Amino acid sequence: MNDFSIDLASLKRRAKPGSETSVAKTDKVAEARGFVPREPQGRRGRPKSPRTGQVHAKVMPEVAEQISAEARRQGVQQGVLIEKAWELYREKQRGLSRK
Amino acid sequence: MPVIVVASSKGGAGKSTTTVVLGTELAYAGADVTLLDCDPNRSLSLWAAKAPLPERIGVVSDITESAVVRVIKEHDADGRIVIVDLEGIASRMVSRAISQADLVLIPMRATVLDATIGVRSIALIAEEEEALGRNIAHAVVFTMTRAIRSKQQNGIEASLRRQGVSIIEPPLMERAAFSALFEFGGNLRSIPEQGNMQGAIENAAAFAAAVYGELRGALQ
Ligand SMILES: Nc1ncnc2c1ncn2[C@@H]1O[C@H](COP(=O)(O)OP(=O)(O)O)[C@@H](O)[C@H]1O
Ligand SMILES: [Mg+2]
Repeated sequence: MNDFSIDLASLKRRAKPGSETSVAKTDKVAEARGFVPREPQGRRGRPKSPRTGQVHAKVMPEVAEQISAEARRQGVQQGVLIEKAWELYREKQRGLSRK
Repeated sequence: MPVIVVASSKGGAGKSTTTVVLGTELAYAGADVTLLDCDPNRSLSLWAAKAPLPERIGVVSDITESAVVRVIKEHDADGRIVIVDLEGIASRMVSRAISQADLVLIPMRATVLDATIGVRSIALIAEEEEALGRNIAHAVVFTMTRAIRSKQQNGIEASLRRQGVSIIEPPLMERAAFSALFEFGGNLRSIPEQGNMQGAIENAAAFAAAVYGELRGALQ
């Protein structure tokens, strides 16, 4: 039988790096070797839109198409375009009322 | 106290078995042992839930990537041995655990695939050593070996030795008793007789003694 016993006194703690910078160093060499984070880093997916209001708009088909094309061109949601149009409309209103 | 990290990005290489065999044998030999289950598959925790834990053993579960360094440090105290079991993937958790190790064990079956993937962990250790400016002792553990050594095993061993990699002798043989630990919980002395029980116990004790020797060498 291979009995052996353990000398607890010989098992001393040794200091090891643990600062944020040393962890960052470890992460960096690890990432280069393909050892990558697995846990979600902060929130996943796109942040929630603050645009929670709705408009109910039926428009002529060609207007619908033009709005859709312009939104696509600008890379924004149609709601953003409507907000801009509304802003322009309000400016115009203010201009008229000052006259 | 010393921290032993068991790492290989290959699933099924024998990490959890190595952890439980080593931990239970070291505790049997008189050490206080803390096992840290850093694998979301919770192999160690499943083992721990099967039976009352043997004397001198504690298990900590559900350790996350962001907590691993802190949790290891919390348990790294004089007079205890901490053994960290990891998931079989290349993750940041693995590299962070390695940064806290006094000894890294890299289990592998004696196959070219296991060895190839095991060598990636060795390469990572080398780079962490350089980045952190500290030596990180490490050794390969052959697992699930047969009484008659395969040609593949001889070839892999020779190649590792040429590269200066330590290999723990004896390896962990393929034994029904080792896999049965996860069926019954407890240690090799408490589970019902499986196959060549005496052979398994002798192998496990000699293996744990060899790791202990390696660890003492690393702590010099
Ligand atoms: N030395 C061994 N003898 C018998 N079975 C083993 C041995 N090592 C591992 N196994 C079995 O092989 C499988 C994978 O081992 P495991 O330790 O869970 O690997 P890992 O943790 O690396 O994924 C398990 O079913 C385990 O019971
Ligand atoms: Mg495992």
